[in-house]
Amino acid sequence: MLHVIYTLILIYVTFILGIEYLKEKNWKMQVAIGLVLLIFILRILHIK
Amino acid sequence: MKKQYISTAIITIVILLTGIIASLEFHKMHVPEPLYPSEGLSSKRMLSDYFPGIRGTNGDTEVYIFDSGKPGATVFLAGGTHPNEPAGYIASVVILENLIPERGRVIIIPRLNNSGFTCTDPMEAFPQSFHIKTDKGVRRFRFGSRATNPVHQWPDPLVYSHKPSGQQYSGLESRNLNRSYPGDPNGSLTEKVAYAILQLIEKENADISYDLHEAAPEIPIINAIVYHEKAEDIAMYAILELEFEDLKYTPELSPKNFHGLSHREWGDYTETRPFLMETSSPVQGRLRGKTNEELILEGVSKNYKIAKETGALRIVYRDEGEQLNHRVGRHLSGFQAIIRAYNEFYPDNPVEIAGLPAYSDLVEHGIGCYLHNE
Repeated sequence: MLHVIYTLILIYVTFILGIEYLKEKNWKMQVAIGLVLLIFILRILHIK
Repeated sequence: MKKQYISTAIITIVILLTGIIASLEFHKMHVPEPLYPSEGLSSKRMLSDYFPGIRGTNGDTEVYIFDSGKPGATVFLAGGTHPNEPAGYIASVVILENLIPERGRVIIIPRLNNSGFTCTDPMEAFPQSFHIKTDKGVRRFRFGSRATNPVHQWPDPLVYSHKPSGQQYSGLESRNLNRSYPGDPNGSLTEKVAYAILQLIEKENADISYDLHEAAPEIPIINAIVYHEKAEDIAMYAILELEFEDLKYTPELSPKNFHGLSHREWGDYTETRPFLMETSSPVQGRLRGKTNEELILEGVSKNYKIAKETGALRIVYRDEGEQLNHRVGRHLSGFQAIIRAYNEFYPDNPVEIAGLPAYSDLVEHGIGCYLHNE
């Protein structure tokens, strides 16, 4: 159950970050958000 | 606006590419490398055949049975209890690929903690695999984790209480197979695997059992044979015989109050005589410095050389390094010496084997000569 809650939280945060990433106009900020987004996506897939 | 779309597209592509490369590398960890048993193999089973509770889980693993067809003793050999200790794993693979049983049986599990082979310890900079050259190409072997994959058993308790002794360890040890014996059929994945191993030892009536390990050069039981009290005579005889090969081993009696370990619980809960062997591996140590495949294979660490020279710690480290050939060779010679010692004490129920290289062969020709590709 804990594992499901953990994954759901990750998906929610990733969704919010994804919206911010697409809205962002400054490419430097996009890189910063993209780096965090990558980690979250890998975590959802249980990769590292 | 257009500029924003371009940067978004570029960064998204970079993220996707990075994700795909990471995913492929990650997937590799879940694919066990092929092993090529010798012609002496008579059957192959799964550990879940002894305890169905682990069937379909990542804890299930292959059991190779080498039966000579002639009556004699049964030997059980476990490699890969800790998948981050390559000599233990590779020694069992070398035996698996060369062993010819002539009397009695040998049962081998090279990947005892199969789940531990699917991940790598975090924050340690360990490589995911290492490669050994053979006559017919290069073979890749996984460098796994000391413990069960946390994805398969999670979360860790704050304090791990060993069953049934109640001895307490840090929470991380709840995933350490060698703190989980005798296991629990209704417990965690690691405890279920431990229980399955005990079932195997009992049902197969193993007379001698081995658990092959490695440890950091500063650990006191390096180059030791740890034995259960009921196997003291065999251990002492084997250590004396190994002296003739210029291989020095320390006899270590398994402490009675150190619970969960193979050399204690296998002996307490079954009729088998358990032995655990350790070699000196700089890649396990805290002083190791740069951590890469070369350190696994060559075992050369200038930090350990300095540490040894200072004399501040008891360090088992050779100036030329602790090569994998040397470490696996020690396990091979130790394995065979214990069998010879057992045969001296139990001549009515011996086990006879052939085809295995000794320490000197491994050091002279390298491990690659004794690994096959088909």
